[in-house]
Amino acid sequence: MEDLNKKKFSLTSFFLQWEWMLVILFILVNIVNINLSPYYFTFGGLRDATMTFLDKAFIVFPMVLIMILRDIDISVASIVALASVLMGYLYSLGVPMELAVVICLATGALCGFINGLLIVKFKELSAVIVTLSTMIIYRGIAYIILEDQSVGSFPEWFGFFGWGYFYGIPFILIAFVILAVVFSLLLHQTTFGRRIYAIGNNPTATRFSGVQVDKMKLIVFTLAGLMSAVTALFLTSRMGSTRPNVATGYELDVIAMVVLGGISTAGGKGRMLGAVIAVFLIGFLRYGLGLINMPAQVLMIIIGLLLVIAVMVPNLKPKAKAKTKASKSPSHQAAG
Amino acid sequence: MSEYVLELKGITKTFPGVTALDHVQFQLKPGEIHALMGENGAGKSTFIKVITGVHQPDAGTIFLNGQEVEIRNPKEAKARGIAAIYQHVTCYPDLSVTENIFMGHEKVQKGTKRIRWKEMHEEANLLLKELGAKFDSKATMGTLSVAEQQIVEIAKALSTNAKIIIMDEPTAALTRNESEELYRITEKLRDHGTSIIFISHRFEDMYRLASKVTVFRDAKYIGTWGISEISNENLIVAMVGREIKQLFPKLEAKIGEEVLRVESLGRTGFFADISFYLRKGEILGLTGLVGAGRSEVCQALFGIAPADKGRIFINGKETRIADPLDAMKQGIGYLPEDRQQQGLILSWGIDKNITLPALARLSNKGWVNRKKETELASNLSKKVNVKTPSIFNLVSSLSGGNQQKVAVAKLLTSDLNIIILDEPTKGVDVGAKSAIYEIISGLARQGYAIIMVSSEMPEVLGMSDRILVMREGRQTAELEKSSATQEAILEAAMSNKNDSVIDEAAG
Repeated sequence: MEDLNKKKFSLTSFFLQWEWMLVILFILVNIVNINLSPYYFTFGGLRDATMTFLDKAFIVFPMVLIMILRDIDISVASIVALASVLMGYLYSLGVPMELAVVICLATGALCGFINGLLIVKFKELSAVIVTLSTMIIYRGIAYIILEDQSVGSFPEWFGFFGWGYFYGIPFILIAFVILAVVFSLLLHQTTFGRRIYAIGNNPTATRFSGVQVDKMKLIVFTLAGLMSAVTALFLTSRMGSTRPNVATGYELDVIAMVVLGGISTAGGKGRMLGAVIAVFLIGFLRYGLGLINMPAQVLMIIIGLLLVIAVMVPNLKPKAKAKTKASKSPSHQAAG
Repeated sequence: MSEYVLELKGITKTFPGVTALDHVQFQLKPGEIHALMGENGAGKSTFIKVITGVHQPDAGTIFLNGQEVEIRNPKEAKARGIAAIYQHVTCYPDLSVTENIFMGHEKVQKGTKRIRWKEMHEEANLLLKELGAKFDSKATMGTLSVAEQQIVEIAKALSTNAKIIIMDEPTAALTRNESEELYRITEKLRDHGTSIIFISHRFEDMYRLASKVTVFRDAKYIGTWGISEISNENLIVAMVGREIKQLFPKLEAKIGEEVLRVESLGRTGFFADISFYLRKGEILGLTGLVGAGRSEVCQALFGIAPADKGRIFINGKETRIADPLDAMKQGIGYLPEDRQQQGLILSWGIDKNITLPALARLSNKGWVNRKKETELASNLSKKVNVKTPSIFNLVSSLSGGNQQKVAVAKLLTSDLNIIILDEPTKGVDVGAKSAIYEIISGLARQGYAIIMVSSEMPEVLGMSDRILVMREGRQTAELEKSSATQEAILEAAMSNKNDSVIDEAAG
């Protein structure tokens, strides 16, 4: 009877988790890479590789929240561009860089807030359509600000975001790990995270349980804008200059990482850890294949295949379960 | 030729871990309406799926007109003249009635494969006319009422020349008038020689229509009786396997001071001029036909769709209720009508469902306290007597009655004074109903003020201290328990004064 209050720990279900699959894939990728290139497995090489793929990974955190909410945000790359371009432009006009950085973050948050507001106010529009529109608008504004030029020559301290080390570890890696822990705790240990899962599973029942669904969405989309601006900081710092066409295609890379991380496209399922592993999986894959000059197209095919597996495998498990359940809960299929 | 159009013998069907059917039998005569009854989970749905070819039995034989047959898939069942009509109509809401009727067996020009629309519309109209329908075959399915959609489903069955029609709880979503209409059509079908298997939780359906009744319990065949041979009590015993001494265990509760007062509350297009008061320990029954605006009043009080006219007083103080969180903070809780869509997260465990409304109380600066959470969920689950091996089991694995208990437990997590129950026993089987009545009665004794919306007359009469009747968005009667009768309620619910405030467009 005591067992009633204790969750049973099952070894098989522990190892059947998607995250283990990702870890195995991650080890496989590294074994292949080591065999392909003698230059791969050097501390300096791996360390610096993280600098090139981690910038967009900051958007993965809020994207996990958004996709658990059963929504999506495809305007994130445009927010990166707009925030970055505005920051560069203001600096070129003589605004102090410190202030420009703050404005960059504020712009990102504002763009995300606008997305959230539109999604909450116009419920008949899906998040894809809303963020598709703002994706075009935000990128368009970036082009109006800078036309086809680029701005750069930022102060030296600004380079620290992209190129700085802290006790020999890239600053971007430290920032990523800290934020990964923060977002994991937020999602898995707080009422905020629990409510996000609830909304993703059943928004109506969640609202009827006294959760302010609209407010939650607004916060999460604003967070996505803010984190896009963080990406803008790191990206701009690493490149040393910015143009309106920066970060093109980032939204798809980010969504790919989230889906590969095991976050259900139907909402309500998945964990932060999976997405974090997926970031390194794709990043190292890209780095290793880059070392042996594998064409980018081949890389895309490999990532595509991984995604197909990612969306297929979790779908197979519930289906097998559903079959056994069908007897108990009639699904009212039309027989005629 | 056999005496029976359909006969099943020794049908057994097991799923991993569950025996859904255990050597059940069933006999259907031509031109007979045969009621199939049993609690939820008794095996009725699986049985239907065996007949319609969705499931293959592990053992047993099926005879059609005396010939042993195998029904391997739904298409074969259709070809053999078997059709099923479900409680939740499975239609294509954006297509026309004709398209819905002929879905899957459209009339097609040979060779060119062009669809012969004119012919289809004509035949559809003919079928609809036969069934006494008042809408055209070109109407869009989604614009029809549930009752009208069911007529379309019946027309669909007839268009495939079905000789055996299975109706699975067809009256569950219908008003009294609509049910009458369905009875008439069903009898007409019977008179034309169609055999009908009728599944329903409503006894009145069975007494009104069926000539025979077969009862399943716990996946087993219990018996078949002529309708006049078996008493209501014996039928319930057959269904639940025990005697239900008191279906309505309403205990006297001490009625205290007024906690809620509503003055000419209204929401444009849905309801108007609703005024009532509610006291501590009191159960106020809110009844009327489906669509009379009862749920809308409740949802206004819970802040889901706030009222735009009138005043609400809680404990004597005038207040506004902006959203559900606001309502809960002011002590109002709501048990939604549709527990699967509005009440629960089916893919979650019992524990997390129960604590969802109380997360703020179970956390410290936003951090969820798992230990406190499990403790509360476990206590409340015991309190409402959810039958489950563990509180971490998924809600989807529970029966309807136990799911409803979990939904009730959610209300008890918060500090409430007023509980609104919207059709608390809808789709719950007889045994679990009585358990839910017991819980409700207990809540009133604890001092909760309760509004209970219900369409079921015996429930309203058995449980309420006072009864408010609504019709077409207005309140038409307020009856004391002592003076309330079925007739008085019905008259107030159906009287034909022409002052509806419900927008046609909105309804």
